[in-house]
Amino acid sequence: MNRNGVTIDETFAEAFPMKATRILITAHNLEWARHAAVAATGFATSVIACGCEAGIERELPATETPDGRPGVAVLIFAMSGKELAKQIERRVGQCVLTCPTTAVYAGIDEGEAVALGKNLRFFGDGWQTSKMIGGKRYWRVPVMDGEFVAQETTAVVKGVGGGNLLLLARDTDAALAAAEAAVAAMKTLPNVIMPFPGGVVRSGSKVGSKYPALGASTNDAFCPSLVGLAKKTELTSQTRCVMEVVIDGLTDTDVAAAMRAGMEACIELGAAKGLLRISAGNYGGKLGPFHFHLHQLLGAAA
Amino acid sequence: MSGYTLTLKAAPALRLDLRGITPTALAAMDAAAVVKLPVGHGSALVPLGEFFNVAPRSDDSLVLQGDLSRCDFIGWQMDGGTLVAEGSVGDYAGGAMKAGMLTVKGSAADLAACEMIGGTLSIDGDVGDFAASTLPGSMDGMRGGTLVVRGNAGARFGDRMRRGTALIFGDAGDFLASLMVAGTIALAGRAGAHVGYGMRRGSLVFAGAAPTVSATFVPAVAGAPVFWQLLSRDLARHGGAFGSLATRGIDRHLGDVAAGGKGELIVVR
Repeated sequence: MNRNGVTIDETFAEAFPMKATRILITAHNLEWARHAAVAATGFATSVIACGCEAGIERELPATETPDGRPGVAVLIFAMSGKELAKQIERRVGQCVLTCPTTAVYAGIDEGEAVALGKNLRFFGDGWQTSKMIGGKRYWRVPVMDGEFVAQETTAVVKGVGGGNLLLLARDTDAALAAAEAAVAAMKTLPNVIMPFPGGVVRSGSKVGSKYPALGASTNDAFCPSLVGLAKKTELTSQTRCVMEVVIDGLTDTDVAAAMRAGMEACIELGAAKGLLRISAGNYGGKLGPFHFHLHQLLGAAA
Repeated sequence: MSGYTLTLKAAPALRLDLRGITPTALAAMDAAAVVKLPVGHGSALVPLGEFFNVAPRSDDSLVLQGDLSRCDFIGWQMDGGTLVAEGSVGDYAGGAMKAGMLTVKGSAADLAACEMIGGTLSIDGDVGDFAASTLPGSMDGMRGGTLVVRGNAGARFGDRMRRGTALIFGDAGDFLASLMVAGTIALAGRAGAHVGYGMRRGSLVFAGAAPTVSATFVPAVAGAPVFWQLLSRDLARHGGAFGSLATRGIDRHLGDVAAGGKGELIVVR
């Protein structure tokens, strides 16, 4: 398949089930909500070593938050509910509780409840109080700027992690432009995050390594520096730079929509802007239950 | 459908104890069985049909008609459905109710909503003393659900209340929220003396006149704007004096310091 000079590989992205939640962080103004959200979603690019994958889903106007202040919606994904609960507690405890003027609420109501303010309340050293409002329990913890308000729990739902696009381009400028366009298009959609820096990852990996201790290693078939050296390469002298966009979403439909939007944004740039090929990462289809076929995604859009 | 209208034939000579006459209990019965249900009359148990005419309804509601002011325990422990009392009722209305909607079109006497656990009790008229409080001798009062009083409340409203929300559109008597453990009481009218006497936790909202605050409360230095938005927006759905709370500022008094001081009197400006 070729669109606007861009070759679309007949392949698919392979994704995995994850556990996910959404939390809403509000603050005195958007800037401070953003500070808390950026900190809470820091060092959360990959479950391989971060414990979770997290990102800012979108910014919320004051009219959409429980307390009428501006806020930020954050999505957090982990491989198990237990790990997710641990990550929520650490990140909210260290990055939201600490951030001036913030409050934190569940962004998903339906699902298994995990602690949000439930354990953080003990920071109040006995001065904390709880309040049931409209069927939900909130904790009020005295802090130096007044009080930190946190909903007791948030809900955990099933999510989908690891949707991806590989963007093969003429050079660094073209690859960055395509990746930035794809991420910008995906960011307009709900229920997804792109957890890597700026939404983009340059160190795509393959399964396994020559070193027994490592489960994953550099994706040599897509490394331009290894053309002619590695046993197999996907690149040519025309494609000298590859970027990957990884997408986590609350459902497979959300991930598919983000991949489609990302591809369409890249294709619009086209070969003229240096994007030559779009591919996707998979493990042969045996590991992950979710398969996103690039041709099907684009066909469904046509 | 399975609802009934029970119409009081004449004022009973003694107090009537209507425990067990709940929407879910009657929904499973035919009219003949309902007529035979035993109700307390003084110290005797007498069939319901001695006092009430029983008529099936086209909906699921249970409706009580007549002057019910000698009928106690209306909606006692009710666990769902809709119960409407089309007149003033006796003591313990909605006592220990767990779920459902109980509406009293008139006033309720003492101990309305005492030890209420859940559901909604709406009283168009006044309530007597000890509404939303405990059964005599018990440690915890109202512990869940919503109580709405359109008229005035007597003394000791919310005594030992532990959880839930109670709103009074009129005035409240003395010792409002005495010994309160937690929960929320919102008042549109005036409060009597000794507001929050011995309260441990909980929030009292004064949407109308500011109360006389006891010396065992301290003025709050810090605001609680986030909490106030959450609470006021929830109270606003009840309308009236509470409808505009979220747009109004507040002053808080913390106490009762004699009982730990984690409660608050929220005076709306």
